[in-house]
Amino acid sequence: MIRLEDVSFRYRAAKDPALRDVTCHIRPGELVGLLGRSGAGRSTLAATLNGTIPHLVRGDLTGCVRIDGEDIRTKRPRDLADRIGFVFQDFEAQLFSTNVSLEVAFGPENLGVDRAEIARRVERCLGMVRLSHLSHKAPAALSGGQKQRLALASILALEPKILVLDEPTSDLDPAGRRELLDAIRSLRQAGDLTLLMIDPETDEMGWADRLIILDGGRIAMDGSPAALWDRGDELDALGVKGFTLAKLGRHLGLAERWPDAESAAEAIRLGGWQAVAGAAERLRAADGAHHQGEILLEVEDLIHRYPDGTEALGGVSCGIRRGEFVAILGQNGSGKTTLVKHLNGILAPTAGDIRLAGQSLRGQPATVLSRRVGLVFQNPDHQIFAERVWDEVAFGPRLQGLSEADARRRVEEALDAVGLGGLGDMDPFILTKGSRQRVAVASTLATKPEVIILDEPTTGLDYRELQGMMALIQRLNAAGHTIVIITHAMDIAAAYARRVILMQGGRILRDGPTRDVFADEACIGPTGLTPPPVVQVGNRLGIPALTLDELVSGLTRDVGAQGRGGAEASPGPRASDIGPGTARS
Amino acid sequence: MNLFLYLDRDSPVHRLDPRTKLFLMLGSFAVAVLFFAPTPLLLLLGVLLVYGALGRALGNLRRIWVLLLSIAAVSIVSWSIFAGGSTPLVWRATREGFLYGIGAAVKIVSMIISGLVFLSTTKTEEIVLGLIRLRVPFQAAFAFSLAIRMVPTIIGTAVTVTEAQRSRGLDTESGGPLARLRTYIPLLVPIFLHTLRNTDQLAKALESRGFGARRERTSLLTIGFQARDVVALALGTMTVGVFVAARFAW
Repeated sequence: MIRLEDVSFRYRAAKDPALRDVTCHIRPGELVGLLGRSGAGRSTLAATLNGTIPHLVRGDLTGCVRIDGEDIRTKRPRDLADRIGFVFQDFEAQLFSTNVSLEVAFGPENLGVDRAEIARRVERCLGMVRLSHLSHKAPAALSGGQKQRLALASILALEPKILVLDEPTSDLDPAGRRELLDAIRSLRQAGDLTLLMIDPETDEMGWADRLIILDGGRIAMDGSPAALWDRGDELDALGVKGFTLAKLGRHLGLAERWPDAESAAEAIRLGGWQAVAGAAERLRAADGAHHQGEILLEVEDLIHRYPDGTEALGGVSCGIRRGEFVAILGQNGSGKTTLVKHLNGILAPTAGDIRLAGQSLRGQPATVLSRRVGLVFQNPDHQIFAERVWDEVAFGPRLQGLSEADARRRVEEALDAVGLGGLGDMDPFILTKGSRQRVAVASTLATKPEVIILDEPTTGLDYRELQGMMALIQRLNAAGHTIVIITHAMDIAAAYARRVILMQGGRILRDGPTRDVFADEACIGPTGLTPPPVVQVGNRLGIPALTLDELVSGLTRDVGAQGRGGAEASPGPRASDIGPGTARS
Repeated sequence: MNLFLYLDRDSPVHRLDPRTKLFLMLGSFAVAVLFFAPTPLLLLLGVLLVYGALGRALGNLRRIWVLLLSIAAVSIVSWSIFAGGSTPLVWRATREGFLYGIGAAVKIVSMIISGLVFLSTTKTEEIVLGLIRLRVPFQAAFAFSLAIRMVPTIIGTAVTVTEAQRSRGLDTESGGPLARLRTYIPLLVPIFLHTLRNTDQLAKALESRGFGARRERTSLLTIGFQARDVVALALGTMTVGVFVAARFAW
């Protein structure tokens, strides 16, 4: 079906090749997950499959890519469109039609399919992704998950036998992610589709037939999820986070493969493990008393209506104390970003009030407030404009009217803090996404705000970059900055935030210590969010653990079984979950 | 927030062939440029408002009224002062300049409203089909429709970028002309680059959907002249005729 032989590719103007001697064969009907750190060559490999490389992207391609025996060099992507479909990460850029039906019809129209058949395909494909009821809606009016499913349907209408999905879920919230994956699963059951999916996480790809992990443009690992299940250390070293539940199993000396938290908890119980007496109390005690600093930011009965009448916030009240680390969670459209845009004066409340250290923000312009409350936007490319990293970071301090010497000191400090010290002369546009995100954080940091708000700081980062970014944020918190993050990554909220604000439909559904909120799955459920696997296992075993370390230390094996005690009895190295083991001690 | 203008409704104007609506719009433009006096232009505006109401498109006015009012205000004030004339009104403003300013304002507002009604009642795919029937090559017609689609996307990017830079302390609202020009650089660079990147993505997405794969392209939508198009074109021609006659005969 797909056959790559000694494929190498170097982008024009790049020094090193992005792919090196890749040889692999993908069989019909296979579901292949393609993983690797950023820059490992995943998207490049995918782009060779439908001829985007070499036809639309310039560079040196050597070796041979064959689809059904045909060399892609002889075919442009549009000529392969009815054989190999491509769904991209950025769903906004893929949709351009007036309504949902016409979006799906666009592909078959290009191929000259007759009208009656197009109508049939539109109906069938919208049914497959469960969007039939929205056929007359404008794509722009759909949620993220619906948009990505529409992008999928618009490709399916070309009836390809191979489907390539390039990080299709990265920009989606957890519910949108689940909706898309459900749609893909049912496709698999319905037909003999061959699927190649790029995804950052093994935990999301456990249902694949085969996982290929790239590193430095080469295939580093290639095997079924079962075969890679307990090779977490190797995966971690390749910048891909290994299976979380596998790591848990290894610490407990249980090697079998668990599909979900439910079965993991069951197996752990059957393996003779149980909660240490008083584990919950011990964990709660370790959290210390609830944060007692003065209230720095106070939101009172905040209502926000957009000019078109949509109510984005319907009466939100909360107080954020100095030195806290708060995560705001919720689906897209639940009002998270609208809320934080009020905290630095970008948006003005329709009703209600916000106070910073007791003083109302009303009438204070964002330009002044930005010195005290820094907001780092989700996409660093929405703000980076300078040709040098240095000038980008110096932008804020210079606007504050600092002297060049003071600005210089601020920039140096900020660059050091984000780990970009000495790189001031770099052109930000050639940095990786993770580094650009750091530049954005540094440029906020250089204005020395008391509060730093980060909207989705880890989107698009690989496992290693993500850990670096979170370690940085944690350092800033330890240095006295009050931190508020918006995130869809539940494991990050669990490992780092001490307090969670759960939003739904423009209101706060729950606000409390992370441990308590995550222990209450019944409360989280209706928002479409689920706690990370480790937390779920813990909840089923009666241990309100937030990290792997905490869970392992809260378990003990029955007397009579081998050994006693918790973590001491477990073989292998210390648990290395997403968060640092010391996150909350 | 939906920034696209098309309103998915059923109205007599929606049901017209896109070519008919295109001709009606061009006719209204022709009338608008023919006149300078306020009275006939106000009449034209009245006709267009009736047309828009028939098309149930006037709701979109709510989204651009600030723009329309500011254009009108700038036009009236500046023409009053600078157009010259013999009858003084207040300060340097003259009665002739004032009337001319009103005319100019109504002219621009009428043309914007005419375009608004067209875009509010016609899908871009219909515009493409209409243009193809008018012998415009598909590629060119599609590029035109993409340009229409890009406007809201770019506005959306511009809003986000402005918010991001204001969050860093950029003051976009005060300062002299030179200072303000300088504040635009941090806005324009990211907007431009983001749009460029989007366009690149779009090109790949279009290829993967088979864009340009075949010479003959089919279409799910169909268009065609109906009796109602004949009626609309007749009414339109008559209206334009009356205006033209009024301009040159009386």
